[in-house]
Amino acid sequence: MLWFERQVVATLVSPTLDEHTRNAVESYVENTLRSMPEYLRAGVAAESLLFGAWPRVNSALGRLNSEDVTRRIERWQTSRIDPLRQYVRLLQSLVLFAENELAPEAEAV
Amino acid sequence: MTATLDTDVLIIGSGAGGAVTAATLARAGRSVTIVEEGPWVDPDAMEPFSLEEMVAKYRYCGPSAALGRPAIAFAEGRCVGGSTEINSGLYHRLPADLAEEWARTYGIDEFGPDALDRYAARIEDELAVSRLPGAPPTSSAVLERGAAKLGWQAVEFSRVFRYEANGRAVKQTMARTMLPRAMDAGAQIIADCRVSRLVRRASRVTGARCVRELPDGSTEKFMIRAEHVFVCAGATQTPTLLQRSGIRKNIGNGLKMHPTVKLAARFPHPIDHGEVPMYRVTEFAPALTIGGSASRRGHVALALADSGADFTDALANWENVAVYYAAIRSDGGGRVLALPGLRAPLLTYNLTEGDMSRLARALIHLGEVLLASGATELYPSVTGGITARATKDLAQWWDAMTRNRANLMTVHLTSSVRIGEDSTRTGTDSFGRVWGFTNLRVNDASLIPDAPGVNPQGPVMAIAARNSDQFLSQA
Repeated sequence: MLWFERQVVATLVSPTLDEHTRNAVESYVENTLRSMPEYLRAGVAAESLLFGAWPRVNSALGRLNSEDVTRRIERWQTSRIDPLRQYVRLLQSLVLFAENELAPEAEAV
Repeated sequence: MTATLDTDVLIIGSGAGGAVTAATLARAGRSVTIVEEGPWVDPDAMEPFSLEEMVAKYRYCGPSAALGRPAIAFAEGRCVGGSTEINSGLYHRLPADLAEEWARTYGIDEFGPDALDRYAARIEDELAVSRLPGAPPTSSAVLERGAAKLGWQAVEFSRVFRYEANGRAVKQTMARTMLPRAMDAGAQIIADCRVSRLVRRASRVTGARCVRELPDGSTEKFMIRAEHVFVCAGATQTPTLLQRSGIRKNIGNGLKMHPTVKLAARFPHPIDHGEVPMYRVTEFAPALTIGGSASRRGHVALALADSGADFTDALANWENVAVYYAAIRSDGGGRVLALPGLRAPLLTYNLTEGDMSRLARALIHLGEVLLASGATELYPSVTGGITARATKDLAQWWDAMTRNRANLMTVHLTSSVRIGEDSTRTGTDSFGRVWGFTNLRVNDASLIPDAPGVNPQGPVMAIAARNSDQFLSQA
């Protein structure tokens, strides 16, 4: 995963998850992104670099905090700009599926 | 020096088409080798539709997307047995009127309903196609109940399931049925083996270049020489391999699918989540069909999130939520294009305005039947679509279903090669022989001339059996 993808995934993962499950969710997202068709992965990577440019600059200057990323993602989830919304939706769908399948209570299905 | 293996018949792909071809030809005494890109996975090793299964058996470890406005997510199997290992196991014969229409449109010989039904009956017997022995589970019963209240037609679909004495329902996937039978008759299967391209000489294919992944992670290249080659890699991979091998005439440009909208329905009572509902609302079939989807907790979460509404409370109560869908027959079409240097083909699909209108109507009918069945909240797979709690709310979904807001998916991909004697529109003759070649055939979902409006596994298997018999009568 690229730097900004890690930031977004870390923000989207439920804060109530234990560390083991959190790592498993992040590992699933990483594996899925790696397994995507090359042209789709290239598109997502390009979006990550573009959308993450400003946060990256802020991070380098020590001015990025997790609330900034959270607010940004919440805005993008309902954005009128399709690529922004779809970018978050993709990562959110991977996180949601994994954390709901890997959560201990899901085992009882 | 590259190792070489010789066989009479090489079958590339082990899904519904490849497995039937292999079993038919091996039983007839032919020397058959099947190569499968994916791994062999014990059909009992994983829970159906689980994350573990997705990683092990799905191509790309999960969904991919056909590009277009909107993009359409799709999923397909990549393991021994292909998509039969991951689908719901619902079974349907090809509707007679579609068979007749396609036979006329594409000039397909011996494609009448009588001939196809004969092969379908053979497949049904082999796979123990059957109906549920008892009452349907709640997730199915709600569809039946809702349809009855509205006066709509709903039917229980047969499934490729065998019911054991202890009541356990066992899906008759290809890895459990046709492939072991083919092996009993002498066929060999090489798993984890990708065919990079076919080797041609004039109008013959002489073999295939293969790359096999070994257990230690290394790869081994080798060549399989064959007298006859059947490409059965499915509607995305078959045209990709043919294009990579320089075969392009009407290959990959007729892709069809069943674009599908979903919603998460919340009920005042718990819903079973173990099986995909076997009831379907067929009031509007084949133009649109309503049914139920896999509804594990992960699927419920995804479906709830698609509308963009707050779903915290509904997810906390996920035992009462199940996922349902409406799928349409589409006027649109797409392409499969092998890209130089890349393993994955590019898929595109363009929906027509009529398709978008049908999808909106499908979503509203889906909402109507679920509200009639007692659902209290419906979360549509349309970003910004309101959570419907009463029939009057559904009208707002008409406007919400736009190209920017619709979240669509499909699991049925067909028609990327097409059979028929009209060589200006088809990639093969009436029995799957690729135009311009004497010994190269396609025998999978790529051949079906259009999306059938029903689960395609049954039609794929019947057509594969028909084409295999025709091959045996000729070769």
